[in-house]
Amino acid sequence: MNRFTAGLSLRARLYLFSGAILTLFAVNVSTHLWGSLARTESLVAYRDTVNAAQLTDDLQQSLEAARQQILVLSTLRETTEEPLDTSERDSALSELQDIDAKVRRLGTIGNEGTEDYYLRLKESTTLLLAVWQNFYRQYNDTDTALDVDSAVNFNDALQRLGELDQRQQFLAIQRSNAIDRTIALTDRITVIGFITTIAVTLVLVVILIRATNASLQRLKTGAQRFGSGDLTYRIKESLEAGEIRDLARTFNDMSGKLQTAIDDVQSAKADADAANDAKSMFLANVSHELRTPLNAIIGYSEMLQDEIGDPGEVDRAQFRHDLGTIIFSGRQLLSLINDILDLSKIETGKMQVGLEWFQPAALIFQVCDALSPLVNQYNNRFELVIDNDSMGEMNSDPSKLQQIVTNLFSNACKFTENGVITVAASMDDEWLTVSVTDTGIGMTADQQSRVFQAFVQAESSTGAKYGGTGLGLAIVKEFCTMLGGTIDLQSQPGVGSRFSVQLPVDPESTLANA
Amino acid sequence: MSAQHLSVLLVEDNALNRDMLSRRLDRAGFAVVLAEDGAQALEKMRDAKPDVVLLDMNLPIKDGWTVASEAKADAAIAAIPIIALTAHAMEADRQKALSAGCDDYATKPIDFPGLVAKIQGILPS
Repeated sequence: MNRFTAGLSLRARLYLFSGAILTLFAVNVSTHLWGSLARTESLVAYRDTVNAAQLTDDLQQSLEAARQQILVLSTLRETTEEPLDTSERDSALSELQDIDAKVRRLGTIGNEGTEDYYLRLKESTTLLLAVWQNFYRQYNDTDTALDVDSAVNFNDALQRLGELDQRQQFLAIQRSNAIDRTIALTDRITVIGFITTIAVTLVLVVILIRATNASLQRLKTGAQRFGSGDLTYRIKESLEAGEIRDLARTFNDMSGKLQTAIDDVQSAKADADAANDAKSMFLANVSHELRTPLNAIIGYSEMLQDEIGDPGEVDRAQFRHDLGTIIFSGRQLLSLINDILDLSKIETGKMQVGLEWFQPAALIFQVCDALSPLVNQYNNRFELVIDNDSMGEMNSDPSKLQQIVTNLFSNACKFTENGVITVAASMDDEWLTVSVTDTGIGMTADQQSRVFQAFVQAESSTGAKYGGTGLGLAIVKEFCTMLGGTIDLQSQPGVGSRFSVQLPVDPESTLANA
Repeated sequence: MSAQHLSVLLVEDNALNRDMLSRRLDRAGFAVVLAEDGAQALEKMRDAKPDVVLLDMNLPIKDGWTVASEAKADAAIAAIPIIALTAHAMEADRQKALSAGCDDYATKPIDFPGLVAKIQGILPS
């Protein structure tokens, strides 16, 4: 039954069960009406029986009285020969008609079962009454001998009346028995129906409650699982129907949306945490990078202070060298601070790009010329290859291009000894290409993948050996992106590195064409 | 400063810092032995048996943390006290150095008189 009702909606179940209960109730009421009808019929039958018995009694007395009167009159007629006056005769005839009417009335009470008996009585009384009427009509006609000896007919009529009476009583008993049986039957049906109705109603209610309760239980389980945070749980919609299924689906949808929202919040939190970690890491790195040149500056200064207090001659050459070291470290500190500020500006989106038309060839030449002392530091050779035929004006930010070339060029000088550093530039309608190639220490694939990240140098010890902030390439990459261009790196350990920058000649038209 | 008989192994890959610190230690009366990377550091600890090691942490070949833990695992040199020198100034960095086996910790820029006090404090009298 549960399986049968499982496919029905709650409303359908309620309608179905109400219908079943109402049907049972109707059956009950109609059985009760049937019983009432039988009782009414029984009353009618009882009344008919009583009427018939009274009428039969009455008729028998009337017959006997009429016969008695005729016997008396007949004797009087023979002895006194006194005539019968008209009023007496009419009265007697009227009584006979009255008897006839009573017989007819008895006929109307009867039914199929008594009809034969009634017809026989009617036949007999008709005959008897005809004889008696004849007696009264010819009473004063003294010549005629009157037949009064109608005892045969009279007894016959009485006997037939008795028979009809018995028959009526017999039928009344029979009918009353049948009615009693019907009443007993309807009473039984009523009681059974009543009990059945109660039982069926209880069963239906229990089934309804259990089926509904099971559905609600599943919803409750789902709601509890959702509430305890298990948002992957799903209420089985296939087990439900109608409103409950809609509710289950709504619950499941809600859980899905909640899960999505929680995922979003968690991913936002993870992003925020990552950003926070990155900030902390940035601060730790800044602190580390500032301390390294400061260590040299403070250390050498304190040492020189100590030495100046020593007795005897100061080693001037040594003194000059140490002061140079302090200056070098101070400048390194300055460029580090500038790089950090640049990177901070880029990261907070405050770095501005100022586009203007200029000659990149001239700018590149000036940068390389200014940095030429770096080339000689490690005994390197420098080649500048500018394709003057292709080089024209470009619309870009010259200060950014200057820093890009400066950073790449000083990097190349830093990591190359006894080698060649080549700066090449060319231009077509859309792109300026500048490449800086060295024959220095080069990088592995793993190092290349990390080299554009802030504070990363190919080796953590590289900074100590070669100097540098680990910010230069990060800034170069950011600037290339800001100017609408790209940077490409090819490198091999022990062979050298080649950084190739491509910048749009006119970002506005190039972007429009793209 | 009575440091005349003490030998110090200075492990530092940055030439400027190595030059500066070794000269100052020399002036202060220590006998200074130099190493430029982690492998050299362990080698010189075994050969020269210095009284104390000043160990930079960001080193090529073997970093300072590795050097400290390997030194403490080697019975022959485990007793030599190690003072970490690093520009990493966070508390977590200090813990990292100490748990790697360093006996003390000094941050760059170096407070030289403080460093000398640390060296003398760490030695058994």
